[in-house]
Amino acid sequence: MSERSLSRLQLHDLHLAQGGRTVLEHVDGDIKPGAITALIGANGAGKSTLIQAIMGELRPISGEVVCTVDKARRAWLPQQLALDLTFPMSVEELVMTGSWPSHGALKGYCAAHYRKGRDIMARLGISHLAHRPLGELSGGQRQRALIGRTLMQEAELLLLDEPFANVDSDTVDILIRILRQMADDGATIVVVLHDMDHLSRLADEVLMLSGGHGRWVAPSALNHPHAPSKVVPFSLGGRHAGTA
Amino acid sequence: MLALLDAWLVAPFEYGFMRRAVVGGLALSLAAPPLGVFLVLRGMSLIGDAMAHAILPGVAIGFLLAGFSLPIMSVGGVLFGVMVALLAGAVSKMGGQREDAAMASFFIISLAAGVLLISMGGSSVDLTHVLFGSILAINSTALLLIASISTLIVIILAIIFRALVVECLDPLFLRGQSRRSGWVHSVFLGLLVLNLTAGFQTLGTLMAVGLMMLPATAARFWSKRLEGLIGIAVLLAMVASTGGLLLSFHLDTPSGPSIILLAGLGYLLSALFGRYHSLAAKLRRKTTPLALEQSS
Repeated sequence: MSERSLSRLQLHDLHLAQGGRTVLEHVDGDIKPGAITALIGANGAGKSTLIQAIMGELRPISGEVVCTVDKARRAWLPQQLALDLTFPMSVEELVMTGSWPSHGALKGYCAAHYRKGRDIMARLGISHLAHRPLGELSGGQRQRALIGRTLMQEAELLLLDEPFANVDSDTVDILIRILRQMADDGATIVVVLHDMDHLSRLADEVLMLSGGHGRWVAPSALNHPHAPSKVVPFSLGGRHAGTA
Repeated sequence: MLALLDAWLVAPFEYGFMRRAVVGGLALSLAAPPLGVFLVLRGMSLIGDAMAHAILPGVAIGFLLAGFSLPIMSVGGVLFGVMVALLAGAVSKMGGQREDAAMASFFIISLAAGVLLISMGGSSVDLTHVLFGSILAINSTALLLIASISTLIVIILAIIFRALVVECLDPLFLRGQSRRSGWVHSVFLGLLVLNLTAGFQTLGTLMAVGLMMLPATAARFWSKRLEGLIGIAVLLAMVASTGGLLLSFHLDTPSGPSIILLAGLGYLLSALFGRYHSLAAKLRRKTTPLALEQSS
């Protein structure tokens, strides 16, 4: 049980509804820090709804989300178009807004912040785009810039909603590497995924949503050609990812 | 030649009311365009217009109570504007209606109420005055009020600047960062109301929006950077307000519409000849590939 007490994000018998319609019931689990948890399921299964609930944007009908991560250290990347791309802002400026939690909204940036921002852009391979307006970026470049902001934010909880949609394969490689580093540094990461290939490369744990319920399954079980029948049923106490 | 310039550009300012008007106009030109730039960027260009209508009943009540006193009318305007903004926000939260729909409903009610109130207590001259402004009526108190409000707006805007930028770009991120993120939007609407009440003396309640929006929309044709947009918009507003005042003095036209039409001219010229997205820029872009081909 010591492992549970360490986890900084727990779902307790969660019942979620959107517009009066129940989307998910009896979802339990604790999401390990240092691991990447994939959230899978068909369209409309409630993946985005669950993410909203975790971010505190949607109040559960019953049950609760217990999250001990400081609000300023939570990062949520919704599906791409939530961002206003016509806004006149450069990649560097976007990355720098991630320094809020440590720096506040009012103070100016100092040299150390700019240095950190440049390091992050270098890690993501977007240094040459630093002064490019957001509206002129490709999908992959934009996604890298947004991940750059979460790195700047030193996010401890990262929720990504289909981060690899419309993204080139180089970017996918870089993002997977960066996410793995963040997890190794102790971040709690939840990723909504569709692609089985991404899933097998990224996921340590899998929460599958279907029929209004959530089931924890082993990533390896999903690689099997007859995946759904091989899925290990969820139980709160036992985590299957490591054992399967 | 010099005499002509003197007669056109300098002589009018020998009158006290023109000096006060130009200072008032310049003060407004510093405060209004940045707000307009943010409105444009947030896709809320028409909200400014709605708010201008919203302050009218408050201005009217102030007028009925105290006659033509700018401070009283301004306080009325601010109170009423904030009330309408809050009501519209509440209705949109309550019924799932979008904020612009609720705002549209409230502002038209406000306009009707305001016009009715003013006609109850005054003449059609008063109504015209409130709706379209008059430079003649700017006295020292009014000027002080306009300058103070403009200063306050610029200072508050500087304080909330970064939060406002993030709210425009990515409201979700801002909400994630702070539980009190809603204040940014409220403070911004508050500044909007303040600015409109400061502007209605020179420009009138309906025209005050023009000095906010036209320079901002015109600036979009000249810059792709936020600092550039704000700088250009402020510059355009200053030229328009000073030039408009001179025109209205010489041609004996109402000051508000003269200023706004000059700003409007700036907008049209920008749309035709600006650096980005203008007609000229479109024509230029068509020729570029050919030119490149020839040079290589």
